Amino acid sequence: MSSFLRASYTIAAKDLRSEMRTKEAFNASFAFSLVILVLFSFAFDPSSEELRTISGGLLWLVFSFAGALVLNRSFARELQNDCLDALVSSPVPASAIFLGKTLANFLLLMIVEIAALAVFAVLYDTHFSKQFWPVVLVILLGTWGMTVIGTMFSALTVNLRMREMMLPTLVYPLLIPALMAAMTLTSDLMSGTPLGGDNMIWLRVLAGFDFIYTVLAVVFIDIVLVG
Amino acid sequence: MIDARNFTYMFYGFAAAFVILVVYVVSLALRERKLIHEIDRVRRMVEREK
Amino acid sequence: MTETRDRILFVLAAVCAVLLVVDFYKIFMILPDEANQGAIYRIVYVHVPSIFTGFTGFFVALAASGLYLATGKLKYDAFAAAVTEVSLAFATIVLATGMIWGRIIWGIWWAWDARLTTMLVCWLIYAGYLMLRRAIDEPTQRAKLSAVVSIFGCVDILIVWKSIEWWRTQHPAPVLSIREGGGMGRGMEGPIYWNWLAFMCLAAILVMVRTRQEQRSREIDSLRRMAHSY
Repeated sequence: MSSFLRASYTIAAKDLRSEMRTKEAFNASFAFSLVILVLFSFAFDPSSEELRTISGGLLWLVFSFAGALVLNRSFARELQNDCLDALVSSPVPASAIFLGKTLANFLLLMIVEIAALAVFAVLYDTHFSKQFWPVVLVILLGTWGMTVIGTMFSALTVNLRMREMMLPTLVYPLLIPALMAAMTLTSDLMSGTPLGGDNMIWLRVLAGFDFIYTVLAVVFIDIVLVG
Repeated sequence: MIDARNFTYMFYGFAAAFVILVVYVVSLALRERKLIHEIDRVRRMVEREK
Repeated sequence: MTETRDRILFVLAAVCAVLLVVDFYKIFMILPDEANQGAIYRIVYVHVPSIFTGFTGFFVALAASGLYLATGKLKYDAFAAAVTEVSLAFATIVLATGMIWGRIIWGIWWAWDARLTTMLVCWLIYAGYLMLRRAIDEPTQRAKLSAVVSIFGCVDILIVWKSIEWWRTQHPAPVLSIREGGGMGRGMEGPIYWNWLAFMCLAAILVMVRTRQEQRSREIDSLRRMAHSY
C-alpha cells in the first residue's frame, strides 16, 4: 500500500517539477483565463445584479477551458523519448501513475484557478467573503472531478491521431453534470445564498460525481494505458 | 388561430422524425453497397496475390 | 445461418409495419384533440417511444461493452457500436420532436427539461463515441477504448438524469408531457407502448444490419492485411 502511495507521490512530484521548470501549460492556462475574464467584463456590465447570477457559469467556463490546456499535456508530455512506454512497462501499477498525474494536474489547476478567482473578484467586484470557505469547497470538488475525467481521457487519447480535438469532444459532455452543479452552487454562493436546503442537491451531485468517477477511473486506467 | 399553426407543427414534428429515420436507413444502405464492393475487390486482390 | 437471419429480419419488419399502421390509424383518426395542447400532443407518440428506445439502446450498449471487456470477443464490440449508432438516430428524433413540440407549447425552441437535457448529453456522448471509433484503426484498441467511453458515458447520463430529477422535484420546470393534467385519457396511453414496441423492432432490424456491416468491415481490414503480407 505504502509503495503504491510512494509511487503516486513520485510521479506527481515529477510532473509538477517538470511543469514548474518550463511553466508552459501553467502560463498558457493563466493567460487564457485572464483574457477570457477581461473580454467578458467588456461584454457584461460588471456591476450589475445579473452578473451575480451568471458569475458561477462564467467562472467555471474559464476554469474548464484553462483546465483543458493543462490536462491535454498531462499524458502527451510522456510521448517524447518513449517515456510513456517506459512508464507503462515499469513495475509501477497503472493506477498509481494515474493517481500521481491526477494529483499533479489538480494542484496545477488549483493554482491557476485561485489566481483566476482573485482576478475575477477584482474585475467583477464580487463580495463573497461570507461564503469564502463554501466557495473554496465547491472549487475543490469541481476541480477534482474535472481533473479525474481529464487525466483519464488524456491517457485514453494520448495515442490517437486527432488528440487535441478528441479530448475536449469526449471530456466536456461527460463533465456536464459536474459543471452544472459547480456553476449553480458558485452562482448561488456569489449572490450570498449560503449552502443548504436546495443547494445541497448539487453539492451531493458533485461529491457523488467525484467519488464515482475516481473509482471508475482507477479501475479502468489499466485497460486504457496497458491495453 | 392556434389550431392551424398547431397542425402545421404537428406535421413538421412527424416529418422530422420520418426524415431522420429515412436518412439513417439510406446511409446504412449506401454503406452496405460500398462494403460489398470493397469485399469483392479485396477478395480478388487476395486471390491475385496468392 | 443467413436464412434464419433473413427470416428474423422479415418477421421484425412485418410486426413493425403492422404495429405502426394500426397505431397511426388510432393516433390520427380515432383519438380526439387534447384539451390544453390541441393537435400537437400527438407528437408524443413518436417522442416518448423514441426516448424509451434510445435509453434501452444505451443500456444494451453498456452491457455489450461490458461483455466485450469481460470476454474479449470482438463481436460484442461490433454489436455495441451498432446499438450506439442506432440509438444516436433515435436520440436525434427525440431532440427534433421535442424542440418542435416545445416551440408550440412553450413558445421557445429549448428548455432545460429533464428529458431533453439528458437526451442532449446522451447525444453528445454517443457522437463522441462514434468519432472516437473513427479515429482508431486497430480493432482491439478501438474496442477497448470505446468500451471504456461507453461505460463512462452511461454512468454520466444516469447522473445527469438523477440530478435533474431531484432538482425538478423542488423546482417544477416545463415538462413535455400530458400527464401533468392528471393522467392521460383512457385509450391515449396505449399507442405509446405499442409504438415503443414497433420502434424496438425497427431498432432491432437496424442494429442487426449495422452489426453485420461492422463485422464485414473488420473482415475487409484483415483480408487487406493478408493481401499485403504476401
